[in-house]
Parts: sequence; C-alpha cells; structure tokens
Amino acid sequence: MKEARFPRVMLVVLMVFLLAPFLIILIASFGDNASLRFPPQGFTLQWFRDALDQRMFVRGFYLSVQVAVVSTLLALLLGVPLAYATSRYNFTGKRLIQVVATLPVIVPELVLGLALLRYLIVATNLPLRPSLILGHTTLLIPYTVRITLASLSNLPYDIEQAAISLGATRLETFFKVVLPNIRDGVLTSFVLAFILSFNNVPVSLFLTGIGVATLPIQMLLYMEYNFDPSIAALSTLLILFSTLVVFITERLLGISRAFK
Amino acid sequence: MPRWAWSLVIPATAVLVLAFVLPLSLLFASSFFAEGSFTWASYTDFLSSSASRRAYFRTVRIATLVTLAAIALGYPAAYAISRITMRWRVVLIALVILPLMTNPVARTFSWLVILGREGLINNLLTALGAQSVRLLYTEGAMIVGLLHLFIPLMMLPLISAFENIPQDVVPAAQSLGASQAQIFVRVLIPLTIEGLTIGATLVFTGCVTAYVTPAILGGSRRLMLSTLLHQRASTMLDWSGATVVAVVMFATTLVAITIIRRVFGVFRSPLGLS
Repeated sequence: MKEARFPRVMLVVLMVFLLAPFLIILIASFGDNASLRFPPQGFTLQWFRDALDQRMFVRGFYLSVQVAVVSTLLALLLGVPLAYATSRYNFTGKRLIQVVATLPVIVPELVLGLALLRYLIVATNLPLRPSLILGHTTLLIPYTVRITLASLSNLPYDIEQAAISLGATRLETFFKVVLPNIRDGVLTSFVLAFILSFNNVPVSLFLTGIGVATLPIQMLLYMEYNFDPSIAALSTLLILFSTLVVFITERLLGISRAFK
Repeated sequence: MPRWAWSLVIPATAVLVLAFVLPLSLLFASSFFAEGSFTWASYTDFLSSSASRRAYFRTVRIATLVTLAAIALGYPAAYAISRITMRWRVVLIALVILPLMTNPVARTFSWLVILGREGLINNLLTALGAQSVRLLYTEGAMIVGLLHLFIPLMMLPLISAFENIPQDVVPAAQSLGASQAQIFVRVLIPLTIEGLTIGATLVFTGCVTAYVTPAILGGSRRLMLSTLLHQRASTMLDWSGATVVAVVMFATTLVAITIIRRVFGVFRSPLGLS
C-alpha cells in the first residue's frame, strides 16, 4: 500500500533522532582527547575513572539515591492510603483533596522549587536535606496516587467485603487481600517515582547549598567550568542505568502502561 | 466514611498543604505586596524590562515551534507504531520511554557533542571544506534540544489514541469512497484529537517550564523564562523579580492549556470542518 510508506519513514527518522544522541555520547566518552570533540580520536577508559573519582559526583550520587529512596517511600506511604480512601469512601472535601493531590503535576516544578526555598528554607531555617525530601515527596504523591487508583479500580470492593464478613479485620483485609492485588501498581509507581526524583532538576535546583547538591545539579555546576569527556562518561553510565531499569521493569511490570 | 478512615487521608493532605499549597500561596501573594501594602510594581517592572519581554516572547515562540514540530514528526510515527506487530511495538514503546527515564543533563549534554565548535556537525562541515558555523547558544539549538526532550510526551498519548481506533475503520471509509485527505481529516484526526490535545499540552507546557535545555544550549544571553527566573533568584538574589517570573510562567502554562483545548476542540467533531 502506498499510503503506509510515509508514516514508516517518519518513524525511522524519529527513532534515529531520538536515539542517535545516546549513541554519540557513548562513543564520545571513550575518546582520548582532553576536550570534548566528535568524532573522537583514540580510545581510553580514563574518563570513566575520572568521573567516578570526582568527589562532587560521588557525593551527589549518594545524596540523589538517598533523597529518591526516602521521598519515594514517603510518597507511597502517604499516597496509597489516600488513593484507597478516595476510591472506597465518599466524604466531604473529597473533590478538593483530589484536586490538591494532582496539582503538583500542573504547577511548574521550578516555581515550587522557588517557593520552597523562600518559605521553607529561608523563612523557617529547615535544613537542605529534609527540604529536598519534602519537595520531592510532594512532587511524587500525584504519581503514586494516580497509579494506585488505577490498580484499585480493577479490584471489586465485593472481595474486601467478603473478607470482612468472613472475619478479617480491616488491616488484615488491606494487607492480605488488597495489597497483593495492587502489587504491580505499587511497584510501578515505586520505580517511576524513584526515577523522577533521581533525575529531578527544577525542584532540586534551588534546594542546593555548599557541599549539598544532587547528582544532576552537580553535573550542571561542573559543566559551567569544564568541558571534558568525564561528563560524557558519567552520562553514559546514567544512560545505561536507565536503559536497564526500563527494560527490566517493562519485562516485569509493563511500565509503559503507566504513561498512558 | 468511618472515622478511622480519616487517618488515611489526613497525613498526605497535611504534607501537601504544608509543603505545597502554603509555600505557593505565599509566593503568589508576595508578588502583589511590597513593604506591607498592595502594589502592581513588580509586574510593571517585569513588563517594562526589555530582557523580561524578550525572554517571554522567546519562550512562547520556541514552545510553539517545538509543539508544531513534535506533531509533524510524532503523529505519523505514532500511527506507524500502532500498525506494527505487538512484539515490535513493545520494543519501540520502551525505546520511546527510555529518554523520559534518563537524566536530563545527560540527554542535553549529548547535543553539546553534536552541535559544539568541535562537534559532529562542524567537524563534518570542515571535512567537506565548508566554514564551521555557530550552532550552540542559538534558539535553533534550544528548539532541537527541547524537541528531543519532549517528543516522547507527544508520542505516548498518540500511540494509545491510535491503538484505540478499530482496525477496520480506515478500510470502511475507503470502501465508502473517501479519499486519503478525507480519511485523514474526517476519520483519523477526530478519533485521535484527545491524544493530540494531551500531547500538545504536555509538550508546550514542558517547553515553557524546562530549565536544563535552555541553561545548557541557550547560554546566559538567550534566556527563556526558566533561565531568567533562575538568574534573578540565584545570581541577582532578586526575590520579587524571580517571583514575578514564576507567576508569569505558571499563568502562561494555564493560558496555553485553555488555548490548546479550544483550538483542538474545533477538530473534535467529524463534521467540524465541513
């Protein structure tokens, strides 16, 4: 069919546009030049060693992981009960709470970052680390709520009522009946929330002080003064990390559903 | 609702109010007050500054161009993805998602390698005997970088929109004598308009608020609203100036959402254009 050619050509163009930069950065990170150039000359692993030796990157990485794990767990601990209550009960203010729980997706993250800096850190002297965690947690709650709601909507309430009428307590019902059934949704939101926090720039940008900055912010700071392939090497490692996460979670959970 | 169930709702609500609603409300309110009294001063300052106006119009211009480019490239590609076998579709969708899950600094950095003075394109040009050109720190660089960053957000809603169209709709229209153009305008567009609206909204608002790409590829002289905001807050420590930019940025995204809904709503009905 003639008409089917054009979309396929566009698909190839798009995939090349989307993925070629990843390939180019991969190649550039092995180049044996002091400054970044493409195509590179020679071959070296020196830039990977440099990147892993940089104290600012190592510390940024640990902070990023710490903030991402804690905020993701908090967002699940707060978001899953909220989603459960709104899907199973009617109460006054439910609409309002639902709107508030989705707002962080609509408000630009940079604006939230500025607000947190002015009214959390400057005004109340809250230290950076808890501020970062608090900021990331609010950002992640909408995702944990939405994905949990979607899984809960596939679980009939009758099953829970059956468990209760057979003598299970509310808590037992939740942990033995509800949670196993929404497990995939909870795991999906864990992975998604972790990645969103780990990669976040706009909120973390303002919540940064001397010696305390997440990895993406450290990379931005480093790039202001340096233009060597160690950033390319670090980027390569991060790209490999997300490739691994995407393919494993797609295999196990079908994470692409979370984006639709 | 039983009383115990409030303990499910209250913790999350409290955190959202304390760390989100309250700081943002205070931020918004503060833009209208100076030394305790109501004033428009910070807004008139914004309007009278040519740097702010330039950043504003540059942001809207770039966001519009990127959104149009994302539709032009993403629409046919999403159609193609929805027509291939399930096996391959899963792989391609994972590849579209991959960039979304990747550190944005790493993603944007790759464009430095491509567009830089000793980058791929300039080395190619000089190898061919041409003059090298300045590609970095231009609006073009920002457009390419933002398109790369946000095109997955256009693709994903479009792919699911196309997947929801029954396979025999297009053959049915053909057998009833519709031309290619008619099928496109009166069958495909109305059936995918919801996905198109979502995609365009995500891409446009993404461009208005993105920080990393304009910071790396635009440099300090070609500011967008996001980089202007950061410059005011971090370099100049001008809180009220930064806050106004923040409010303007948020307002721009809200207006854009409304306009996109309106404009795309025209195509909603299959008879909309007849």
